[in-house]
Amino acid sequence: MLQIEHLSKSYGKFRAVNDLSLHVPKGDLFGFVGPNGAGKTTTIRMVCGLMLPNAGSITINGVNALSHQREIKKQIGYVPDFFGVYDNLKVKEYMDFYGSMYRMNSKEIERISDDLLELVNLSDKKEVFVDTLSRGMKQRLCVARALIHNPALLVLDEPNSGLDPRARVEMKELLLNLKSMGKTIVISSHILSELSEMCSSIGIMDHGNLVAAGRIEDVMESVFGSNQLIISLEEGRETAVRIAREHAGVRIDSVGEHELKLSHTMTQKQIAKMIGTMIANDVVVTGFHKQEGDLETLFMRVTGENAGQEGEKENVAESYR
Amino acid sequence: MWLNPIVKKDVRVQARSMKICWGVFAYELILALVFFLAMFVIRQDIRYSYDNIYSQLVWLYPALASAQLLILGMVVPVRTAASIAGEKERQTFDIMMTTSMTPFAVIAGKVMTAILQSMFYVAASMPVMALSFVIGGMSWSYLFWFMAVALLLSFFAASIGILCSSLCKRSIGAVLMSYGFYLVFFIGTFLPYLIFYVIDADNIARVTTYGGPVYSDNLLLFLLVNPIVYVVEFFGHAMAGGTLMGEMVSQFSAGPIAFLTDGYRWIAFSSVCIFALSCLFLFLAARRIDPVKKHRVKHADGGKSAGKEKDADRGDASLRTHGK
Ligand SMILES: Nc1ncnc2c1ncn2[C@@H]1O[C@H](COP(=O)(O)OP(=O)(O)O)[C@@H](O)[C@H]1O
Ligand SMILES: [Mg+2]
Repeated sequence: MLQIEHLSKSYGKFRAVNDLSLHVPKGDLFGFVGPNGAGKTTTIRMVCGLMLPNAGSITINGVNALSHQREIKKQIGYVPDFFGVYDNLKVKEYMDFYGSMYRMNSKEIERISDDLLELVNLSDKKEVFVDTLSRGMKQRLCVARALIHNPALLVLDEPNSGLDPRARVEMKELLLNLKSMGKTIVISSHILSELSEMCSSIGIMDHGNLVAAGRIEDVMESVFGSNQLIISLEEGRETAVRIAREHAGVRIDSVGEHELKLSHTMTQKQIAKMIGTMIANDVVVTGFHKQEGDLETLFMRVTGENAGQEGEKENVAESYR
Repeated sequence: MWLNPIVKKDVRVQARSMKICWGVFAYELILALVFFLAMFVIRQDIRYSYDNIYSQLVWLYPALASAQLLILGMVVPVRTAASIAGEKERQTFDIMMTTSMTPFAVIAGKVMTAILQSMFYVAASMPVMALSFVIGGMSWSYLFWFMAVALLLSFFAASIGILCSSLCKRSIGAVLMSYGFYLVFFIGTFLPYLIFYVIDADNIARVTTYGGPVYSDNLLLFLLVNPIVYVVEFFGHAMAGGTLMGEMVSQFSAGPIAFLTDGYRWIAFSSVCIFALSCLFLFLAARRIDPVKKHRVKHADGGKSAGKEKDADRGDASLRTHGK
């Protein structure tokens, strides 16, 4: 769907995006994460045709986005990192304004915007002036606006910044809803945990470089080397250790009184089977959970390492907070 | 027919704000003052002559018309300054550029809004203007010509305002810059002639004394784009039935100026020049706001062949869309 290759962009001497390559498959909800100033907005603006890169290519649905701007614009819905709204304009008219920019006729616009406002839960606000809406509502209106021409790709730049928790949850539900409708969505954020709840894959950016990308599990694995599993048990510790040893791709990190810490590279199914075997062999397993590789640790590790390499003066961990 | 959505939105938004009411109020107020002032002057004149006051009312026409053109000239840049810069300040500009709107459609929408507004004011002044026609006995065709001149000069002012708006980050900067442009057109267009005159005064004196072709007057051609000269020339035809530019140039002058200062040629050609210049400004503004073009110019120095390739590609795309 969205294919970015060797994309670079400099502001004067400053390199904001450096040789970024990325693929977002169709129907994916892709999270773009990185500390402030990592180059997320710059990348997104290039994808949306608001800027030309210095080098590299962007392909959307097999069409070169840099040379076929006009066709591409019909395929992208863009929600910028600010609310672009007018005073003295009603919600209905706001939708109509953007719809007619795509040369849709007013009947079509009305029908689609009714559906969209329903989708973003603003049906009862049609006659309300846009500037009187709450932030969360404005943000959802922006999403509805970006969808008016039924684009295949929806790009949102930090849609959650400045929203209260409730509005965030609503936004998340909306995006998941859109994903289930088959839209490809790219969303950027500087908070990883926010994305991990809804995104199937992520790309972590730092100082203009894409430091890790792929499905969340894969990214974690590549960073931590393996996944961690913690098994709590009452009895049969020795048996459990023996069974674990029998499995390939399992390393025992530590053995506690009632706890077994494992690193592994197994699939979910294999884990389930292994625990099943343990129970069948009279090990009293009281619980087990995946050590979530702690996303924040992952983020810090990935972005921190990079900052060290590049010899940057600022502490990324701090700028991230 | 597809109505430019920007026109629709801008007119709607502005109609809802109180600004337009106050605007029309102020406009009418100024015209009323001009009206009374003109009446006062006419009465003073009449006292020492045998003319009847009704025929003198034709002079309301140039007074009111020039007052209106002056107000429009001052107001249009203020209103258009916010057209692009304001969208940028409000951050709606980027969204607009990601839609199917071309930069030129955006500019065209902004110009149309500005002209519609000007015409709104002009229409509001019609009852007062009509006095000089109904009572003064002025030919009604001049009402039409006034509308045409107001339209052209509004277009000119709007194109300057929009160009400045696209060049500046802030609306206020755009307003000041527009007035700067005015100075260039009002005064700057006289400069080539004046400078030459000061430098070469002896020669001119000699040539005018002994006759022979005078080419230096062709420096006055810059005045073709001077809106004040344009307006003065227009009233010259309307009120005195003659061309004023014709009187400005020497009788020995030769070249295009001699041709143009005959009859209606100057005003006709000047209209064309002002119109063409306005279109040029709008074209530049459209180029300026095109996010993609602007950067391409920048890295043309980096890789020329790459830039050319892209150009070819783009031409291809536009050809195809035209073909559809
Ligand atoms: N117009 C610009 N001119 C110069 N530098 C810029 C401009 N826009 C962004 N930058 C710089 O580029 C870097 C990346 O910015 P951005 O893409 O906005 O990051 P993010 O969205 O990830 O926070 C930042 O360091 C920022 O200072
Ligand atoms: Mg950003």
